[in-house]
Amino acid sequence: MSAIILESSLVHYEALGRGKPLLFLHDWLGSWRYWVPSMVELSSSYRAYALDFWGFGDSDKVPARYTLNGYVEQVALFMDQMGIGKIPLIGHGLGGMVACLFAARYPERVDLLMAVCTPLVGSQIARPLSTFSGGDNPASRILGRKLSSYQEVALEAGKTDATAVVSSVKTALEEDLTEALENLDLPVMMLYGGQDPIVQPPDRSTLDSLDYNVYPFLLAEAQHYPMLEDTNKFNRLLRDFMIHRDNWEAIQVKEEWRRRMR
Amino acid sequence: MAKILVAEDERDIRDLIVFILQIVGGHEVVPVGNGEEAVKKAPEVNPDLIMMDVRMPRMTGFQACRALRENPATAHYPVVFLTAKGQDEEILEGKELGALGYILKPFEPEGLVEQVRAILQQIGKA
Repeated sequence: MSAIILESSLVHYEALGRGKPLLFLHDWLGSWRYWVPSMVELSSSYRAYALDFWGFGDSDKVPARYTLNGYVEQVALFMDQMGIGKIPLIGHGLGGMVACLFAARYPERVDLLMAVCTPLVGSQIARPLSTFSGGDNPASRILGRKLSSYQEVALEAGKTDATAVVSSVKTALEEDLTEALENLDLPVMMLYGGQDPIVQPPDRSTLDSLDYNVYPFLLAEAQHYPMLEDTNKFNRLLRDFMIHRDNWEAIQVKEEWRRRMR
Repeated sequence: MAKILVAEDERDIRDLIVFILQIVGGHEVVPVGNGEEAVKKAPEVNPDLIMMDVRMPRMTGFQACRALRENPATAHYPVVFLTAKGQDEEILEGKELGALGYILKPFEPEGLVEQVRAILQQIGKA
């Protein structure tokens, strides 16, 4: 296990591969671990990092920092400490929101951004998560029997501090990322699952408010974990995005999703 | 958790195997870069399982396996080979050397963990 101390608190992370660094940021339900298939996929060309937010996985429990801002600063401290400069950020749910806000606050440190199942506005967060009020193993309580389909999530679900979920969801419900995204001058891919029970895809008015550099994709059959449900398709899309950036026409299997989103 | 000695000359693949077995699988992994190092390291590590690439410089996986078998102190170590898909003749040769099995490259993370788990169960080390 790899770990560093940031402002007196332990942050667990893992890294794989050599090359240009990139960073994976996890969701409210889970930890760094479910990024393993994507880390392996990209490790031939990149140094892939994935960390645990405070209160998740093996990172310390630091209730005072369980906010979107707290996690944005955790990412900044992590990159400072690791000597990481400008990088691609790939975030999922909570991690996607943190990635968007981080890019807005530190645009010089983000090369491109992929946000998976990430609410642009708080109202996209569906009831099982938006109304979660605490208790052991939030992933089990929120996903129910579906959790057993996601072994990588289930394995570490019990480590989550429920307060981290409650507090960060509370700040997320009040958030509107469209303004943050509007000012970003970098390629942003927003990927959604058409069957996601946790984060609903954005509505048309929200989509219409997005700038040309922000591109929404929909995986019609996907739920909340497209990186686990259809790993090959997800990894191919991620790799294509890393290569082609905002050349959306060059990204494979794009048409089927684009038609549905715009 | 098992102790696994991994001999693989390609650094990227070696790093990947270590990451998967250690971080994902929860095993203790000792990596080395060729068959010769594996033969030298084995008595010191006393592994539950040795995983070796077939084609390596200085001493191939097969040569290393023979050397391990010829030494009474290391003859009992279970060995599995890593080989690329389609190398059927290598699989046959490895079986003749008493290899427990083959792991085909490329592999998926969970697939590798599962295969190793099955092999460890087979030898009563799971």
